[in-house]
Amino acid sequence: MINRRQILAGAAALTGTLAAPMVRAQGKPRVVVVGGGAGGATAAKYIAKDSQGAIKVTLVEPKDTFTTCFHSNLYLGGFKSFDEITHRYDKLASAYGIRHVRQWATAVDRSKREIVLADGSRLGYDRLVLAPGIDLKYDSVPGWGKDAEEVMPHAWLAGPQTQLLRRQLDAVKDGGVIVMIAPPNPFRCPPGPYERVSMMAHQLKASGRTRAKIFVLDPKESFSKQGLFQQGWERHYPGMVEWIGPKVHDGIKSVDPKTMTVTTGFETYRDCALVNVIPAQSAGRIARDAGLANASGYCPIDPESMKSTLDPAIFIIGDASIAGDMPKSGFSANSQAKVAAMAIRGELTNSRTFPARYANTCWSLIAPDDTVKVGGRYEPKPDKITAAETFISKTDETAEYRRQVQQENIGWYAGIVADMFT
Amino acid sequence: MSERRFLSRHARAIGLSGIAALLALASMAPAWGEKHRPRGDAAFGEYLSSLCVTCHQASGQATAGIPPIVAWPEDQFIAVMHSYRDKQRENIVMQNIAAPLSDEEIAALAAYFGGLAIRPKIQ
Repeated sequence: MINRRQILAGAAALTGTLAAPMVRAQGKPRVVVVGGGAGGATAAKYIAKDSQGAIKVTLVEPKDTFTTCFHSNLYLGGFKSFDEITHRYDKLASAYGIRHVRQWATAVDRSKREIVLADGSRLGYDRLVLAPGIDLKYDSVPGWGKDAEEVMPHAWLAGPQTQLLRRQLDAVKDGGVIVMIAPPNPFRCPPGPYERVSMMAHQLKASGRTRAKIFVLDPKESFSKQGLFQQGWERHYPGMVEWIGPKVHDGIKSVDPKTMTVTTGFETYRDCALVNVIPAQSAGRIARDAGLANASGYCPIDPESMKSTLDPAIFIIGDASIAGDMPKSGFSANSQAKVAAMAIRGELTNSRTFPARYANTCWSLIAPDDTVKVGGRYEPKPDKITAAETFISKTDETAEYRRQVQQENIGWYAGIVADMFT
Repeated sequence: MSERRFLSRHARAIGLSGIAALLALASMAPAWGEKHRPRGDAAFGEYLSSLCVTCHQASGQATAGIPPIVAWPEDQFIAVMHSYRDKQRENIVMQNIAAPLSDEEIAALAAYFGGLAIRPKIQ
């Protein structure tokens, strides 16, 4: 059945405004999307949906399901099951005709405009969307590394690590010491470590382990929503959480997974019941290896389109990009994906495009029905994506208002996963 | 009957080329076109809507804390968005989203969401 968009497109074609010569003389233009997270899944869907079959879209993602980093803290806190934060990709194929290639993309051959897959085969593209997310810098915390992540989990890539952290939390005895090593800027999900601390404290309190203590060793002088979190910790978890900034701890000198010891310039934490190391981060390797990152380890983009400033056939969205004032969040990645999708559709089909607009909101659960939010609206400026107007929760909000904000948080999650996967 | 409703009602019967011809006729006849043109630009609204559907379900389904916004009368949609833009209605996220929207953009969103049908919940 014909829909209204086709009517509009038909009408526009007749008047000549949306005539759509293809970039390739033969066959449809091809877009490859690498990475099926909040950025990649959204980009694949919107390019396929809005081009109505005029663009061939391939999503390269090795997994059949995606576990969201967002709300993985709610799993840790017992508010959601693991299944509730895990979603299938199959509707992207059945509803939008996207081809899902279940392999790792290992390299980008920019000169040939091809992606190299793990089995050695290649996929050609006219436009490439790179949404590889972050890589962890395993060498950023002395004594910790890939071989230590099963003992001292990071749980910063949602999946088995998230479940491991939950099991370790469940095993902490009353009076046990938990150390979280927080990451330096810039990193995925700025309020995430502190929501995680809140959810750990909630689990401990809810199970009567109120003599357990969480030390947060932070390399940063301050953190997202700091006043709101610290007020919440005092209110809900008195004596259970201590945040320690770099002036006090004087540097994280080393960790020892064998003895569960964390040593700072100021103090040594021995026989820890749980050590959560959230290391420094960079753009996913495939983007860095392709020469698309700068010295920061992340990828510069054109604020109008999310196009790489280093390759006009490649768009980089989500955590791997340098998105100016936008935080690295699932919401941001989803927003950036839509701008990139529009720009790509416009370039490949000469169809109508509009000025870029970006938005983000991050909700954080501190305790049951006590949720705060931070967010904003962002605009492309010549040098970077720039905050136009931002907002943050206040410390004097009523309990009823905070409960409503938690309802928003739950509704937003349902919305974004529907937007990504259905 | 508006041009848009007329077209969607008769789309199946007259086919794409017929519709295109009708629209071409409309564009050649400004009086008819002006009178019957939808108030908002639904194609523009569809683009702008991508900001909305990160939270609000495009299916029109209600979820906890996030109301459905599909298939509203356009006037009502416009009035609600103006009240957020003017900061009369509370909700800091909606005030922030509505703040930069022009009357034309709000009308475009109203036309787009107003023209969608509520779809059954996807399991």
